[in-house]
Amino acid sequence: MKLNPVVTGFIRKEIVQTLRDRRAWFVLFLAPVLQLTLFGMAISTEMRDIKLGAVDSPNDPVFRRLTERFYSSRWFIPAGKGGDPFQWIQSGGADAVLAAPEGGLTQAIQRGRGRAQLLINGSNVLKCQSIEGYARSILQESLDGEKSAPPPKPVLELETRILYNPQLESAIFLVPGVVSNILGILTIILTATALTREKEEGTFETLIASPAKPWEILLGKTIPYIVLAMLDGPAVLAVALWGFQVPMRGSFLALLAAGFAFVVTTVSVGILVSTLAENQQQAVIAGFLFLFPAITLSGLAFPVENMPLALRLAAYLDPFKYFVELLHNIMLKGGDPFLVEVDTGVLAVMAAVAMGAAARRFQRTLN
Amino acid sequence: MNKKFAVTRALAIAFKETRHILRDPYTLALAIFLPVFLVVYFGIAIDFNLRNLRLAVFDRDQSRASRQLVETFGSSGFFKVEAEVTALPPTKSLESESAKAVLLVEPRFGRDVGRGGPAKAQVLLDGADNSAVGTILGYLGGIEELANRLYARQAGVRPPPPSVDLQARYLFNPELSTQWFIVPGLSVVVLAILSTLLTALTVAREWENGSMEMLLATPVTPLEIILGKLAPYVGMGLLIQLVIYLVARLGFGIPFRGSHLLLLAGSLLFITACLAQGLLISVAVRQQRLAMQFAMITSMLPAFLLSGFIFPVENMPRFFQWFSAILPARWFMGLIRQEFLMGPAWGDLLDPFLALGGLNGLLILQALRSFKKDVEP
Repeated sequence: MKLNPVVTGFIRKEIVQTLRDRRAWFVLFLAPVLQLTLFGMAISTEMRDIKLGAVDSPNDPVFRRLTERFYSSRWFIPAGKGGDPFQWIQSGGADAVLAAPEGGLTQAIQRGRGRAQLLINGSNVLKCQSIEGYARSILQESLDGEKSAPPPKPVLELETRILYNPQLESAIFLVPGVVSNILGILTIILTATALTREKEEGTFETLIASPAKPWEILLGKTIPYIVLAMLDGPAVLAVALWGFQVPMRGSFLALLAAGFAFVVTTVSVGILVSTLAENQQQAVIAGFLFLFPAITLSGLAFPVENMPLALRLAAYLDPFKYFVELLHNIMLKGGDPFLVEVDTGVLAVMAAVAMGAAARRFQRTLN
Repeated sequence: MNKKFAVTRALAIAFKETRHILRDPYTLALAIFLPVFLVVYFGIAIDFNLRNLRLAVFDRDQSRASRQLVETFGSSGFFKVEAEVTALPPTKSLESESAKAVLLVEPRFGRDVGRGGPAKAQVLLDGADNSAVGTILGYLGGIEELANRLYARQAGVRPPPPSVDLQARYLFNPELSTQWFIVPGLSVVVLAILSTLLTALTVAREWENGSMEMLLATPVTPLEIILGKLAPYVGMGLLIQLVIYLVARLGFGIPFRGSHLLLLAGSLLFITACLAQGLLISVAVRQQRLAMQFAMITSMLPAFLLSGFIFPVENMPRFFQWFSAILPARWFMGLIRQEFLMGPAWGDLLDPFLALGGLNGLLILQALRSFKKDVEP
């Protein structure tokens, strides 16, 4: 296929100009590395070293064994000295306090009603939820060991199996999502600033006056960034696979196709943003105003199921949502054919619509 | 040449800068609109208490007991039972993302329940969404116990009381409201981004326009320029903090149990630290574009990811825990949450105040030094 020489000229100029710009290198390389490091290494959803205080009475062997059980788990460590549970937690000395009932847990169990109270600092909702979950799972285990006579077996036994990521490693969940963040930020910010730079420097008028047709300018301004993103994407994926041991259970080609549709969409969003902005500063801010809701609705960090209806509906318009879903589904689950087709199809439609809208707005800006 | 610091000259610069801000609707809109938008958006959008998780049911037994088990799952409020599936392999609904969990009941389940157990049922969880799995695991124990009580009652057996019954009480946030947790922390994120960004931009703009040289040629000393230029932004930061405070208290009904004075002191320390960071960036790069990029990255990433805003600092590997200790945002995050929800004693806030004060001093000294070195011939 022979490409239009005007378009190829544009592409060559745009790539050279981008790679010459220190700032672009920053977005192209430093930002992905930073995000991968933070999401892959720093962030973990598993808590450790929870400071647990214990309020006990003397001569309470069952309670003592229970607290020891807590401390020997991988989650809890003993809190320093403290007295009143409320103040203990308020002062930050303890994250949670386990309190035996009046008269001691040993006696209470003999009377047939052993009840222990766990006071948790609720000011951090996520920490509080995990602390309660860990405590319950420890208690479930220690139920069996504490009784002299074997307890009557419960009728129902729920067996739980965690699929796809049995160790619940945060990196395996977060890193694929980071791929979408990196590509989205990269394409939107670079495309939006590239066009507004021409506006700022006054070269936009020169472009208009030149014999190049609008669609040639548009292609010349978008293809380079699609190419850059399609090069950046596999590089980031490689780091995910070999650096963070994220499995790749599905088809690489399917992922590539999804990535292409996603990148075309975000590049078009970048063009749309640039037609709205006067200068690069505004372009960056407008870009972030799009990115921010788009990333929060993608389902990567926040549960979308819990959001109000309007936001849940808005999520269906969010290209990030589909791409994150595809990344997770293809990489971790091997890619359900129907889901992959539907999501990629939606992304392709979005790409076409966004491209069309961008082209129209762009034409109007030119005239 | 050694000139004395004159308050009037600094004030004149501050006055000029304030007029600049007020004249530029764009900056002003950013300063007012962005905080309100972020706070309302996050306050409404985020809820970590998962409800109505889609549960696919694979009932191979179809007995009364199995239907009761399914009902127990459904009525717990945590799960929403999707239409039952029978034909596909059970993992199919996880693969096609149509469910977050699958309940698998083997044939003969009802018979086993009738015989007093053990009756086995399996729950398959979608480990590809780790945060949800952690929460679901916490719910399952309770559901299992509920079902067991039900079966025991029907068999006419007294259900065995669990030997230790754990009662959890949530202090300071009894209903575990996500808004109480998110909204106060948002002011850290907003202040970090806006203070750093606006300072970096305003100083870099003077360099780019060449007006910094003009300012320096006047009798104004570098220190006066900087203090004058930054003073209005301290005011703007406090205004943003006030706006968020009001939205939190009046809009979301979040309690404030600490001392307003300490909140003000902490906010001042944090805002000035961010301004110093912005100043350092602008001295280092002198270009608005670059200053913007650097300010965004160095303020947003730490404030969102390393401050404990959502992901607890305590969960991080040691290295990142230490690293986060040099970030003012991490300390202010702890401080503001304690002030809002916990009402700590003055002594409890010693650590965050010492750390904030120390980091603040270091940043300001370094910023002033590099600025002076930069402008002195």
